[in-house]
This record gives sequence, C-alpha cells and structure tokens, in this order.
Amino acid sequence: MRRVIFDGVWKAFRRGERHDSLRDLLPALVRRSLGRQRAVSENVFWALKDVSFDVQAGEALGIIGRNGAGKSTVLKLLTRILKPTRGSCAVVGRSGALIEIAAGFHPDLTGRENVYLQGAIMGMRRAEIAARFDDIVEFAGIEPFVDTQVKRYSSGMNARLGFSIAAHLSPDVLLIDEVLSVGDMAFQEKCQARMKQFRDNGVAIVFVSHYLPAVARLCNKVLLLDQGATVRLGTPPSIIAEYCSGSRASDENDVAIKARLRRSRADRVDDTFEVAAGERLNLDVTVQFRVEVEQATLGVVVWDLTRELYVYGASSDFVGVPPIRARAGDLRTFSFTFDANLTRGLYAIELNVVDADRHRFLGIARGIIHFQVVEQISYDGIANLYLAGREGASVHDLRQAHPGIAR
Amino acid sequence: MLRDDLREMLREQFDFRELLCQMTARDLLLRYKQTVMGFAWALLMPLLNTAIFSFVFMRVAPIQTRVAYPLFAYCGLLAWNFTASALRFSVTSLTSNTNLVTKVYFPREIFPFSAVAVSFVDYAIAATVLVALMIYYRVAPSSAILLLPMVVAVHVMFTAALALLLAMANLFYRDVKYLFDVFLTVWMFASAVVYPIDAVGGRVGALIRANPMTGMVEAYRSVLLYGAAPDPASFAWTTAVTVILLPSAWLLFHRCEFRFAENI
Repeated sequence: MRRVIFDGVWKAFRRGERHDSLRDLLPALVRRSLGRQRAVSENVFWALKDVSFDVQAGEALGIIGRNGAGKSTVLKLLTRILKPTRGSCAVVGRSGALIEIAAGFHPDLTGRENVYLQGAIMGMRRAEIAARFDDIVEFAGIEPFVDTQVKRYSSGMNARLGFSIAAHLSPDVLLIDEVLSVGDMAFQEKCQARMKQFRDNGVAIVFVSHYLPAVARLCNKVLLLDQGATVRLGTPPSIIAEYCSGSRASDENDVAIKARLRRSRADRVDDTFEVAAGERLNLDVTVQFRVEVEQATLGVVVWDLTRELYVYGASSDFVGVPPIRARAGDLRTFSFTFDANLTRGLYAIELNVVDADRHRFLGIARGIIHFQVVEQISYDGIANLYLAGREGASVHDLRQAHPGIAR
Repeated sequence: MLRDDLREMLREQFDFRELLCQMTARDLLLRYKQTVMGFAWALLMPLLNTAIFSFVFMRVAPIQTRVAYPLFAYCGLLAWNFTASALRFSVTSLTSNTNLVTKVYFPREIFPFSAVAVSFVDYAIAATVLVALMIYYRVAPSSAILLLPMVVAVHVMFTAALALLLAMANLFYRDVKYLFDVFLTVWMFASAVVYPIDAVGGRVGALIRANPMTGMVEAYRSVLLYGAAPDPASFAWTTAVTVILLPSAWLLFHRCEFRFAENI
C-alpha cells in the first residue's frame, strides 16, 4: 500500500528582497508600478525540481544530499508546512513528523506538562498520552526530572524526551529529520532500534539524514538529491557509494582498472554487497596498461564510506608481488585475499597503480567496488578486534574459540 | 472549492480541538508561573481604568449615566478589555511561535484562537468584580440577562475574526503590531466605552455608532445593567459585521496559511 506519494514536485522560493514591513512595502509597490522592479522570475529559486518517489507501508526511504540539496524541503512539503509550486504530494494515513523533535517544548513548563503539549501538537489525544505517559518517560530515561522545568534539562535530555514522545505515537507514516544526531551513543542505538521496529510493523518511513551509517542500516531505498534534482533512487549501498565517491573522481589515464569481489566460497558477492564481519574475501583485479612501465605497484585502499575514513592501505609489493614490468597494451591480472575485520558499515575499495620509479600515479579507480558489513552486535569504531572475555583469571587465549577469526 | 475549504477548516479545528485547549492551558499556566500576581492581572487593568475614569467623569467633568458611573464604566471596560487584550496578544501569536510555525504542522488558527481563549478566561475572572459592583450598587438583572449568551457569542466571534486578520498581517508585515497599538488607544475612545453614546451627537456621534464595538459595549450594558434587550439597530449592525467578517477572515487566513512558513 502506497503511504507516501510524491509526484513530479517542483518547489520555488522567492529570493532577494522581501518586504516584511509596511515601511518597505510601500516604496516597493511604487517602484513596481513605475516598472522599475526586476522581473519576478529572476527572483525565484527552485528548491526542488521534478522530484518523484513513493514509499510503501513497511518501507523506509532515506534522502541524502549535500546542504541545500532540498532534503528538508521534501519533509516540509510532506508535513504540509509548505505547498508544492507544481506537482502533488500526499501522505496517506496518520503521519508523525519528527522534524524538530523538541520544537513544541516550552522552557518554563515541566517535563510532564511538555509531554502533554507536544503530544497534542503531534496530534495525540489526551487520553492516549496519559495511557503512554509512563512509557514515554521511561524510554527517555528522565523519571527523576519529570516535574522539573525543561529549561533545567541538558540538551541530551531534551532531545531524548522529544524523540520518546514521537516514538510513542502510532503513526502510519513517520517523517524524520536528523533526529539521530542527538543524544549519546546508547540512546541513538535505542532510537534506531525503535525506528526499525516501526518499519517492520508496517509504518512507512521517510528519513532525512547526513548520518550515512544510520541511513544504510534503516532504509530499503535511498534518494540522492543534488541542488533540488533527483540524482538517483536505488539501494542504499549503491547510492551511498555514489554520493561518497562523487567528490573523488577516478583518474585512469595510463591504465584501465577492473575489479570484482568474491567470497572465498561463493562465486561473487551478491547484489546487496553484504558480507559478514570477519569474512574472508577475494579481490580479483585486471589492469590494462596504456603506457610502458619498468616498475609498477598496485595499491589497495579501503575507505569507510559513511564516516569518510581511510581504513587501510597496502601495496602489492608489501605482500610479495614482484614489481610489475609492462608494455603498452598489456593486460595483467592479480588476486588478493583479505579478511573483513570491520564493524558494521559501508566500505569502498580504491585501487591505484603507481609507477614506483617516478613516484607517479598511473591511475586511480574509485567507487568501483563497495560492500556492506553486517553483524548482529554493533561494535563502535571501524576495526573489529573480536573482543572476548569471561570473569576470572585465565591463562588461555579466549579468542582461539572465536569462529570469526581466521588464524 | 469554497465549500471544500470551509469543510476542511472546520474539520481541522475539530481534529485539533484538544490542541486548542492545550495551547490555551499552556499560556495560562505560563502566566501563572511567571508572574507573581498570576490571575490578579486580569482584574488589575479594568479596575485601574475604572478608578481613573471615575475620577475624571465624576469629579473633573461629571457626566450623567443611567447607573452609577463606576458600574457603567467597569461594565464597558470589562468588555473592551477582552477585545483589546485578545487582539494585543494575537497580533504576535504567530510571530512569537516561529519555531512551531516553521517546524510542525497543525492548523495555524490555533495560535490566534488560543490568544482569544486565554483572554476570555481573564474576562470571566474579571466579570466576578462586575457581579460584586452590581450587588454593591443594588442593580438587579432582569430577564434580559437571558440574552447575555448571544451577546457574548457575537463578541467572541467578532474578536476572533480580528484576531485572525491581525496575526496574519503581522506575520507578513512586522510593523502592524506598532500601528495596532496606536490604533487601540484611538479605538477605545471611539467606542463609547467610558461615556454614554447618547452624550455624543452630530457627525462624530454617527461615526461612533458605526463602530461595531459601540453596539457591542452598549449591548452588554442593556442586558446586564438596564434590564432591556440591546438596541436593535446598533446590535444588528455589530452582528452583521461579525457574521460577514468571521468567515471571510477565516477563509483568507486558511488560504494564506501555507505561505506562513516561507514568510515568517
């Protein structure tokens, strides 16, 4: 069932001088009537240009893009704060919006009073809020402060209470803007678990965020916007990879690099690019040389896409592959093996060929391979160190027992 | 189109009726918490004004009224004060809630309406003093008091209509608030609040009678103090203005609503 419909939507904002006082308006009217005002079209800025998508019940759509791409405008149109200039958009059923979760809070009211007020703003009945009041306060973890004025709360408490109210709505559609960037790690995990639960119970979710790991985990599909236009709509790994590698283009002047990733047992990593933490992966690379080179090396770099971190870098000569001597037109193949000792997240492999004599890049291939590490337990950080433990002193290496470790 | 809009306006108000109560409760609660005097403020303004005007019109320049002047003046000031404070409050009701207007959707009418509702609570509190004055001056209400609910209903609707217009106007043009402050002072003296309308004749008298608030204030005095039905001509005029103004103001507000977030 289609819950969110966004059909060929265009949204214009007026730009430039705006008259917000009568004192400014009167001279402007005179000027316009004298024909000295510039044409209106020059002052129009298109925040969205022909954007279409829909979200089914039980689906989560992520919207990503740089600042000013039009992400928040999409949400404001869906919540009816704004109206489209052209096209149409609709939400079917009861919608819960978490655009600014604590927007309705008044600093001088207590937590309890604010829960009722904010609940009413979100469209809940008083009886509904009363029935869920204890759950809301418990979820937010603010029981001792429920009768304290909200102005005495820390920003984290504020955000937790705001999210908690929204999390106890029973919506058909949930519109979320950047709420996960608040609160501590543990609370963020709790929020994400809650949203996943909503999605699995058939709620349609539209999620706008800069925090790509959360998008990758929650969403079934992702919309990439750039300057108000749709770049692409697709699966999270492919769209996020495209977004992250957008700024670092490949440069393959002197070589052409092709690669594919294989599981050690299966033929190749399937379309979801999902691998288990610690899984052994094979990387096959072919390099077509266009120039002659005496001593070349092949570099393998792993990037954490969502956190934009350089995770690992190694070169073929480190692992015992002799320097490559090639003539123009040669096609050479290489194979590598590595263990995905990573925490859950989205990663990309970058390959480069370097002329070792001249210390010069012959070519860099970026964004051609990406994969997603999935695991049940979420560790923080990038590297999976396979922490093991038990109570009491031990002479044994506990990690020996870990099935994920290869050696 | 028109019918759809009207239906949507009423349905939204019905769906969000609890929010209107919550917002009103919020503002009342805040004032009670933030000010030492709390609800005593509701009594202060009409009482103080009554004292001042009683001094002027009983000692300095005595005028003839059908009931004791303090009772006459308090009744008028009480009614006037409801409209004035409701409107003063609603002018900034949208602009002082920028966060809510730009971030959350609910019918925006809630803001001016809750401003009116808050002032109405003050009005009810201040009305107790009127009852005390009536007892003190031994003015007993007649069966005409049965018309009071009708007078109050017209008064609230008239005030709500202006509240919608002013809240919206101040959102688009911020100097409306200052202009309106000036206008309020003039308007009070043009509304026969502190003097009987019969005392003014000629062209100025006609102008004052054309002001809907004159009919409003006089209607209160008729049903409460004079024991008579409101003057048909002047009250009918006030009612007619209200009946036309409220739906048109509301419709205008509703149709401009989606531009609020962009213009605030």
